[in-house]
Amino acid sequence: MQIAVNIAVLASIYALICCGYVLIYRATRVLSLAHGELMMLGAYGLYATASLFKGHPLIALAAAAGLALAVGLAVYAALMWRMTGESVLAAVLATIALGILLRGAMMLAFGTLTQHPLRDLGWENASIGLPGGARISAVGAALILSTGLVYGGLFAFLRGTRWGMRMRAAGQNPLLAAQRGIGLHGIYALSWGLATFTGGLAGMLIALDAGLESTLVIIGLKAFPAALVGGLDSLVGALAGSLVVASAEVLLIQYVDPLLSDVVPFFVLLAMLVVRPWGLFGTREELDRV
Amino acid sequence: MNVARSSGYYRTRYGEDFALLDTKTQKAWCAVFVAALLAYPFVAGPLALDLANQVLLASLGAIALMLLTGYAGQISLGHAGLLAAGAFTTGILFKELAAPFWLTLPAAALAGAALGVIFGLPSLRLRGLYLAVSTLALHFIVIYAGGEYETRRGFSTGIIVDPPRLGDWALDEPRAWYFVLLAAAAATLLFAANLLRSRTGRAWRAIHGREAVAAALGISVHRAKLSAFVVSSTITAIAGCLFAYYRGFVSAEAFSLYLTIEYVAMVIIGGMGSLLGALLGTVFVVLFPYAIDAAMNLLGLAERLSSVVFAVNYSAFGLVMILFLVFEPQGLVGLWRRAQDWFLLWPFKQRPLAGPR
Amino acid sequence: MSAPLLRLEKLEVTYHRVITAVQGVSLEVAPGTIVALLGTNGAGKTTTLRATSGFIGLDDARVTEGAVVFDGERIENLPPHRVTALGIALVPERNKVFENLSVAENLDAAVPRPGARRRRSIELAYEIFPALGRLRRREAGYLSGGERQMLAIGSALACAPRLLLVDELSQGLAPLLVEEMMRRLETVRAETGATILLVEQNAQVALEVADYGYVMENGRIVLDGTPERLRAHQDIREFYLGTGGGTGRRRSYRDVKQYRRSRRWYG
Repeated sequence: MQIAVNIAVLASIYALICCGYVLIYRATRVLSLAHGELMMLGAYGLYATASLFKGHPLIALAAAAGLALAVGLAVYAALMWRMTGESVLAAVLATIALGILLRGAMMLAFGTLTQHPLRDLGWENASIGLPGGARISAVGAALILSTGLVYGGLFAFLRGTRWGMRMRAAGQNPLLAAQRGIGLHGIYALSWGLATFTGGLAGMLIALDAGLESTLVIIGLKAFPAALVGGLDSLVGALAGSLVVASAEVLLIQYVDPLLSDVVPFFVLLAMLVVRPWGLFGTREELDRV
Repeated sequence: MNVARSSGYYRTRYGEDFALLDTKTQKAWCAVFVAALLAYPFVAGPLALDLANQVLLASLGAIALMLLTGYAGQISLGHAGLLAAGAFTTGILFKELAAPFWLTLPAAALAGAALGVIFGLPSLRLRGLYLAVSTLALHFIVIYAGGEYETRRGFSTGIIVDPPRLGDWALDEPRAWYFVLLAAAAATLLFAANLLRSRTGRAWRAIHGREAVAAALGISVHRAKLSAFVVSSTITAIAGCLFAYYRGFVSAEAFSLYLTIEYVAMVIIGGMGSLLGALLGTVFVVLFPYAIDAAMNLLGLAERLSSVVFAVNYSAFGLVMILFLVFEPQGLVGLWRRAQDWFLLWPFKQRPLAGPR
Repeated sequence: MSAPLLRLEKLEVTYHRVITAVQGVSLEVAPGTIVALLGTNGAGKTTTLRATSGFIGLDDARVTEGAVVFDGERIENLPPHRVTALGIALVPERNKVFENLSVAENLDAAVPRPGARRRRSIELAYEIFPALGRLRRREAGYLSGGERQMLAIGSALACAPRLLLVDELSQGLAPLLVEEMMRRLETVRAETGATILLVEQNAQVALEVADYGYVMENGRIVLDGTPERLRAHQDIREFYLGTGGGTGRRRSYRDVKQYRRSRRWYG
């Protein structure tokens, strides 16, 4: 039972991170390897707002989320729009370079000590008992809840709203989308904004749970196999992939070797690439286009 | 018949198309350069000598990655994993069997070739992004295997490797290392340059251009891709072996993703599709942190920022990489060629064709 | 004749800075008319169209001379979505629809011209193509060629265009369907008052509906006039309509039939 809870928490962490990879890839065909750093930036945003709005934790959270959205838009406006039309390698390398730059800048700005935003917000990470004898931390529950909300919101946005449809249209056929009057830069900036927003949210919640340190970046990197396993262009796939990777990771750590934690996602990824490179729910033709 | 001399030079024989150095000036410059390289260790101080050794060592890996990515067009983010494979093969053979270097070096090369096949297999099905990701996954797995060996055998801080010995003589002095590494780098460079002029090299460029067309021309795409991976990772693993001996120390921590990124940066900053680019990129990337250090000392920031030198390096490196990607995708070679053209044409400056762009 | 809605002035387009695909093309499209731009493969029709719809930069081509003027505004260097916002919608030759989106979503995704009524434009698309109404929830990737063409025109109409550019409408459609589509275009004009520029290889059907025609060859306009005039022209009859000739020296429609017949014999 406890294992099921652990899987659920880990899967929702991965899923919350993954949707950033998927959103950016779907719209712009770029795999953002700066996602881990952007997550961390989101978490530091919370750290900053937590001390700014002392005693108003909810305001601090909202401000930090808004900040993350703005950072995503800024990243596109400052760097990534220049990469449209460049080769896949150049664009991916630009995200890697951005990640390095951000990591260095964050070390300069915030130091390398582990921070505890939860304490700054004045909250306790209570442990909640569940039927069946399992326990879940309050932040863990919040993680599952917000993953559900984010995915629900994204599905509603992409399926139900006009901007969501335009986003899907632009991802599928940018030329035709431009002909239909859709401004591609706007769509791309929006997807970067949303991706950084969700990633930042994930970063904040993880930081609330486990403290804020540089291992956050590794979690971000470990989540992207989940996105690939599910299929890089599918949100449903991201959910499924996160579940697969999280289950494999929790079970193997439990029954085989705790040291495996860092590589399990990559083993799953390789297995998937051999069997079904486009992922569980991905589109098959994508492979030829990249 | 003696045709009137015109400016420029024309190749009149087939062999001249293949010559590595085809003018007298080039040959002369090359000789001067080689002489300078040979004289270098006798004038350089200890730090300068260590830097030169680092550059030479890294240039092996950079040339290997350039062959794979710059010429054959196969993206790899697993370069540090391959270096690690070479280094760990050396370390493990030394620790377990006390093997001498003339056994560990070929063993590392073999391990590299085998891993090259494994790294290359995904490339038969995957392209672009997916290939990059699969090599990245392999990187983590190799590093995990190395780390696992360290912890299992109780070398949790790393494996200590003694310098290579030949009879009584041990290779432990920087100046001797310099000549060994110089020879290795020169051999790799010549090998790469010659390979690129051969059928294999042409096949690589063809699959880089367009796989379907290459296949239609009778090139076995699978063989070309696999051979690119195998050649590249063999060289890289040999570099890893030398790295292990040079440092005298092997640890999984040394082969982080950041190392891969440094190598990719060498190729990018140097300029894709050029061996000269690989060398220029290596020099740039290896010296960059020292240059930043020196700059901070000059500005008097060193004391204040001494605890965060690492962070300054990181962000400056990221920034430089972005600047190159955005403003000079041709890399240092692009700058170099433009400078050459400028001097060639001076004082007759040519403007690009007018027109809206 | 009132001031033209679209005017190309001595347009010259160069690919990769060296290959000139279109040289000195001038044409005028008066508001409320259907104008046909005819020519065989490689005549420069599509390039002209791309220069008008803002797509010229994508193929490393640029307008090196001349201008594209839409409603008094120069548009040759605008990006595609700005051109659409001014009221020019293109029905492209290939990749006509968003295949993973449903028919309704295809229509919804289009951004209407500012000031136009969105809902009205979409309703109009359904009115002109009732078949789309029945297929609303169907994914566009599963539509037949004819249905796709209807959806492509419909979603262009959802942009509420003042000028509709139609590229190779007849390609890949059955002859009966082509005539049907041409009639629908006349309906479009009647209902929306939109001006239409038809780019076609199939001169026969295009001249049925057009008010005026231009003929391009090798990147130049070689002939223009009313459909009656063009149909009467000897060369047009021979090369584009396949009905003229009579001199016997050049290949005529009859010879083609003869050839087919003999081939059947041999086969």
